[in-house]
Amino acid sequence: MDVDQEKPSYIALLEVPEDKIEIVPGASADLTSMTFSIKEEDHTLGNALRWCIMQNPQVDFCGYSIPHPSEAKTHIRIQTTESTNAIDTMNKGLDDLKAACHMVRSKFHQRLTEGKYTRSEQ
Amino acid sequence: MAGGHVNDPNGPRIRIRHLDENTIDFVLSNTHLSVANSLRRTMIAEVPTMAIDLVEFHDNTSMLVDEFLAHRLGMVPLTSHTVDEFKLTRDCTCTDYCKECSVEFNLHVKCTEEGTRTVYSSELISTNKDVVPVTEEGDGGKGIILLKLRKGQEINIHCIAKKGVAKEHAKWSPCAAVGFEYDPHNNLRHLDYWFEKSVKNEWPLSKNAEEEIENDPDAPFDFKAEPTTFYFNVETVGSLKPQNLVYMATRVLQEKLGGLQLALDEDQNPESNANMDDAEPWV
Repeated sequence: MDVDQEKPSYIALLEVPEDKIEIVPGASADLTSMTFSIKEEDHTLGNALRWCIMQNPQVDFCGYSIPHPSEAKTHIRIQTTESTNAIDTMNKGLDDLKAACHMVRSKFHQRLTEGKYTRSEQ
Repeated sequence: MAGGHVNDPNGPRIRIRHLDENTIDFVLSNTHLSVANSLRRTMIAEVPTMAIDLVEFHDNTSMLVDEFLAHRLGMVPLTSHTVDEFKLTRDCTCTDYCKECSVEFNLHVKCTEEGTRTVYSSELISTNKDVVPVTEEGDGGKGIILLKLRKGQEINIHCIAKKGVAKEHAKWSPCAAVGFEYDPHNNLRHLDYWFEKSVKNEWPLSKNAEEEIENDPDAPFDFKAEPTTFYFNVETVGSLKPQNLVYMATRVLQEKLGGLQLALDEDQNPESNANMDDAEPWV
């Protein structure tokens, strides 16, 4: 397989179900506090995304939970300062985590092509 | 933020220590535990591979019952470097299965001589030259023993392999094992070792301990310290090369996040949605 280094621009072509992410009723009117409900996701995404969102200094609170173990759903709660809103913060968190993944990928590629590692023949 | 990492403009670092046919040993550093754990979890459960999912038994006079063999066949690793060319069955337009979402295998063996006839996974005849049972030099290129037949016994089956992820069934996992360690000296005290007389003697340090220094046991405990270096040892089942597994895992994660952004955009622009009656349904 080709080591694919292309930028993931094809993401715009992904088919995502309309109800993949929903906003749980009860958000504040100024949109600074919100709970997002994400379908078919678990700790793989939840924990890393929660951390990434928390890195944003405009975020007062961010936490995630899986409300019930037999429902494939993750809830992410975001509370921000008044200078921004939860949706923008979520978007920024996703951007940052995506960039971190891209970074891991390009660093890995770099090291792999450098070839400074041992190989055993069996 | 330059480099994309939120804490550090230099971003995550990687050092590959060892690579061979089935394993890769690398160190991921300068990132958060949750990111390293996401990578680990993605490699185990969310990188797609091919595996036998349906088995039609035309004839089975062997010692093993149909469902036992079907389960066994599902576990056979298939080379999956072309997995991206396949669709998931649920996304495919076909009603049952087709060549865009599956690969077919046939196996027809009858034992006609005295003694035992051993049937190996390499005897499965594939309809796609890129998706075949994994074999190694160590097993003489024969693969895995599927069953054994005595004189007069016969097996005639048709298998359909599909694309899938290990979230659904572990047979689709490209990983045999993922070793994951951080803080080998237990400086952060995330572990509370059980011991009889001495922790040091009863819990030998891993080789990763050579890369870090142990904290002075008399120094005050730094309760704000966080792990930053993560030691991975990924062992594949042979369906994917270990380096490609890491690439695919990062890509799966990126797609997951990108997909979420698309869905979030749709939420924000209700014009593009079908239900326009409630513009701000969340308030």
